[in-house]
Amino acid sequence: MNELMEILQELRPDVDFENETQLITNGVLDSFDIVALVGELNDEFDIEIKPNNLVPENFNSAKAMMAMIEKLQDE
Amino acid sequence: METSILNRLDRTAAAYADKVMFKDEHDSITFGAFNQLTKAVGTYLARKIPAGQPVAVMSGRHILTPSCFLGAVRAGCFYAPMDGDMPETRLNQIIGVIQAKFMLVDKAHYEAAKGLDFDGEIIVFEDIKDTEPDEELLAARAATLICTSPLYVIFTSGSTGVPKGVITAHQSLMTYIDSVAKVLNINDTDVLGNQSPLDYIAAVRDMYFPISFGASTYIIPKNEFAVPTTLFETLNREKITALCWSVAGVELPAKLGAFDVAKPEYLKKLCFSGSVMPCKYLKIWQEHLPDVLYVNQYGPTEATASCTYYVVEEKVTDETVLPIGKPYDNYRVMLLNNDNTPTPDGETGEICVSGPILALGYYGNHEQTDKSFMQNPLNDKYRELIYKTGDLGSFDKDGVLHFHGRKDRQIKHLGHRIELGEIEETAKKIAGVTDCCSLYYKDKATLYLFYTGDATSKDIVLYFRQNMPAFMVPRKLINLEKLPTLPNGKTDMQTLKGYFK
Repeated sequence: MNELMEILQELRPDVDFENETQLITNGVLDSFDIVALVGELNDEFDIEIKPNNLVPENFNSAKAMMAMIEKLQDE
Repeated sequence: METSILNRLDRTAAAYADKVMFKDEHDSITFGAFNQLTKAVGTYLARKIPAGQPVAVMSGRHILTPSCFLGAVRAGCFYAPMDGDMPETRLNQIIGVIQAKFMLVDKAHYEAAKGLDFDGEIIVFEDIKDTEPDEELLAARAATLICTSPLYVIFTSGSTGVPKGVITAHQSLMTYIDSVAKVLNINDTDVLGNQSPLDYIAAVRDMYFPISFGASTYIIPKNEFAVPTTLFETLNREKITALCWSVAGVELPAKLGAFDVAKPEYLKKLCFSGSVMPCKYLKIWQEHLPDVLYVNQYGPTEATASCTYYVVEEKVTDETVLPIGKPYDNYRVMLLNNDNTPTPDGETGEICVSGPILALGYYGNHEQTDKSFMQNPLNDKYRELIYKTGDLGSFDKDGVLHFHGRKDRQIKHLGHRIELGEIEETAKKIAGVTDCCSLYYKDKATLYLFYTGDATSKDIVLYFRQNMPAFMVPRKLINLEKLPTLPNGKTDMQTLKGYFK
């Protein structure tokens, strides 16, 4: 989780990732943030985020992202 | 003969009264209802303002916004659109340039508008939308318009740190719209999928194809671009046939693998512009949608959105570099050397444009206007203005134009035009930034800021987020003891580029 938080903080230091739960739905993260983020998460966690994973539910909060990463790591 | 865009709106509103003109995720509006709204807004404004005045418009990403724009036109005025999502500082800069006496806002932006440095009157669209149209007054206002009257002022990055307002006339817009529609074969069966913010130049096709030809436009919710599978579902649900998107927007679904899940079944035409298309992404589109018409467009806001086009007929590969093609109808394109002599075919020169599509200049800025719009140095017989784009190009033996980058420090990032000088001017306002240099790492589409001083990267990003549009926020910040310099004392940008990673 710390690793993820570091990546998120560097990407968007202006966003409160601890508490925000509607990152996509409310448009806090835009499409370009997502492109940058997907690349970094794939590299950092050695996973492959597929288009099917790119749904708001998986990116709306840091917690949801972590759950998705863990799921992909198990596969 | 057409004297203004209102001739077209009158025609399509009558011919397509009950057809959907604009639609967004919540609502839709017919041509008839849209026209009625423009007349209500126009009547209200005409009772307050003389013709020929600017009206600032700050309204959201929804179907009512275009009726605010055209409402101003019905009053014989022109509109200056402002994106309410932009930080206050930026909006205040625009207000300072346009100096409008009236600002038209939707209810959702009223509070934000009150917080700006605007001393004119703020009018809320929802409060005036039921105004009874005064046809006589509207006819009188329409009669004040001629084809060279300003239609809108759209703002773009300026290297001095203040945005420049590019003024476009009715005739220029109609010339461009007709020329591009001919290439894309746009007609009343087309449904466009709007990607561009409505205040931005790239949205003119999505608004004026309906007004001109009876096509419809669906305004795609912004957050769908972050989830490409939803995006393609939307294109299919709305049966979208034509997309005029930024290159960045076209890249996104291909980059995120959206074609593995779905494909846009109804799409017939895809026109892209704003920056150089990396063909590894276009290739993916072509593989999945081989029958779509792909058109690469090139051109600056100063020449009404675009000036050349290239229909992609070949199957592209990762290495393909697309030409920017041939001029649209009624656009003249020529190349000039630095000493204002003509550039021979095959050699590289500055791309210069002339024709009825030239902007009327930069709003309230004679100095910049005279510098950029000048008499054609090859013509000493009669008045012929050209716009020097600052872009470099060459003509091949078939008269096809190829693009070779910029003369100056302007870049294209995420489909937006940015002066790196403006990023630097902004960074220098931050306490703790002593000196800086902004550079663009094209391969990774990343905006860098190298700086000296004790500001943290968080300080800098926060300042940019609060004061500049999102696309102008540097992604990588590198703190240095000292910026490397050349013997002449200028910043050594080549050394800095070595720090890209």
